[in-house]
Amino acid sequence: MGCLFLCSAFGMGKMNFLGYKRPDGKVGVRNHVLILPSVACSNEVCNAIARKVKGTISIPHQHGCAQLSFDAEQTARTLIGVGKNPNVAAVLVIGLGCEVVNSSMLASKIAESGKPVKNLVIQEIGGSPKTIREGVRIAKEMVYFASRLKREKSKPNALILGVECGGSDACSGLSANPALGVTSDLLIKEGGTIILSETTESIGAEHILVKRAINKKVKQKILEIVRRTEMRALNLGLDIGKANPAPGNYEGGITTLEEKSLGCVMKGGTSKVMEVLEYAELPTQKGLVLMDTPGHDAESMTGLIAGGTQMIAFTTGRGNPLGSPIAPVIKIASNSCLYLKMKDNMDINAGEIVAGNKTTQEIGEKIFREVFRVANGKLTKSEIWGHREFAINRIGPSF
Amino acid sequence: MNEKYFDKVILSHAKDNVATAKSAISSGTFLTFSKDRRIIAIEEIPFAHKIALRRIPRDGAVIKYGERIGRAIREIKPGELVHIHNVVGERGRSEGTSLKRRAHRA
Repeated sequence: MGCLFLCSAFGMGKMNFLGYKRPDGKVGVRNHVLILPSVACSNEVCNAIARKVKGTISIPHQHGCAQLSFDAEQTARTLIGVGKNPNVAAVLVIGLGCEVVNSSMLASKIAESGKPVKNLVIQEIGGSPKTIREGVRIAKEMVYFASRLKREKSKPNALILGVECGGSDACSGLSANPALGVTSDLLIKEGGTIILSETTESIGAEHILVKRAINKKVKQKILEIVRRTEMRALNLGLDIGKANPAPGNYEGGITTLEEKSLGCVMKGGTSKVMEVLEYAELPTQKGLVLMDTPGHDAESMTGLIAGGTQMIAFTTGRGNPLGSPIAPVIKIASNSCLYLKMKDNMDINAGEIVAGNKTTQEIGEKIFREVFRVANGKLTKSEIWGHREFAINRIGPSF
Repeated sequence: MNEKYFDKVILSHAKDNVATAKSAISSGTFLTFSKDRRIIAIEEIPFAHKIALRRIPRDGAVIKYGERIGRAIREIKPGELVHIHNVVGERGRSEGTSLKRRAHRA
């Protein structure tokens, strides 16, 4: 029955969606105008512009200055990636003028995508009110431009879906994660891309991913990112288990990091691992791709959207409201008790698998259909509540 | 999928020595797996927590999803709750001398 339905509904190339085609050939499922601070010092100017102009989003962050080398590069790569994300129609970058992560550099890199990009520098313009006034004028033009773009028929191979879990319980690995794995396999079959992140939650399950590596280089890179994550804690003499699994994971029945990891990696499905990306890198392959991010969900999702992810499917057993400023986040509950308790935040209930009312395959297909509805414009609960958590992963200290 | 759904628990893999409670199981409850295989919960097992299906010796592997999820720090009897009071993980732990062995197994 499942197969019949699949063949008729999914398998015939009918899983197209209506998206915004960008000048670089990528396809967005949302149409945001982004007001992007290059440095924490520009945050409030960006917020003021976004408050004034409907259809814009600012993404305040704590970074962009007093950072060195690879750490500053990672912040810059993240901001550029978010600006280039196909869900973004146009970008206004606001810099202070003396920061490490230079705003005109960010603007010119984002402009390589062909979308409209402008840059304002507070020190050059002469303070907050003048920059806000000029920014509001530019943002208004950008929204006017974006509002005239139309959704067009697009193929599913343009989709990159990030798969995330947060606030897991011991049901996550038995219901929501394997169901999302079914979704991942279905989207890959349609030519799409899945990014599985959260390296901390591959520790103890890396042998499963390694077995599916497409080649030796990918195999070695999987082992390398897992080992370096594990060694980061061990070299400090620390126990990852004091923070991950988190206290709520233990209360939810998860006993060890290995147990959490074995459940976590199921979200990626059963496909070959094509590529391993650094944090905030863009995939060059389609199919299943890994990205090295921490288990911290806001940081992980920020890495995913910088990598071009248009949508994120997010499983939870304890209940998690997190969203993303530019990507819709679909929340999947691992148990019915949570689903009923936090229905305001949950989009799909995978708890029916635990209860025995639905199969993993059925819920996986349901998530797959939801992905396409959301791609076509259906809002997720995290979007409706305005959840826009944004956190750039730091890999060096502030100086 | 390898999971098997029983009345009160989910067994994620045939090799497992623990099963996950589908709802809270009170002490004294019988769990039936087949005509000649059943165990009794010897303490309360909260929802989503694990119950031992077999005796697990001290230092023995705890198996879920058909994989090793940790090591018993004391003997665990069939029907006992299996959690952080009687199991430790072996990865990402500073005292985990087993790191090298485990990390290279893959």
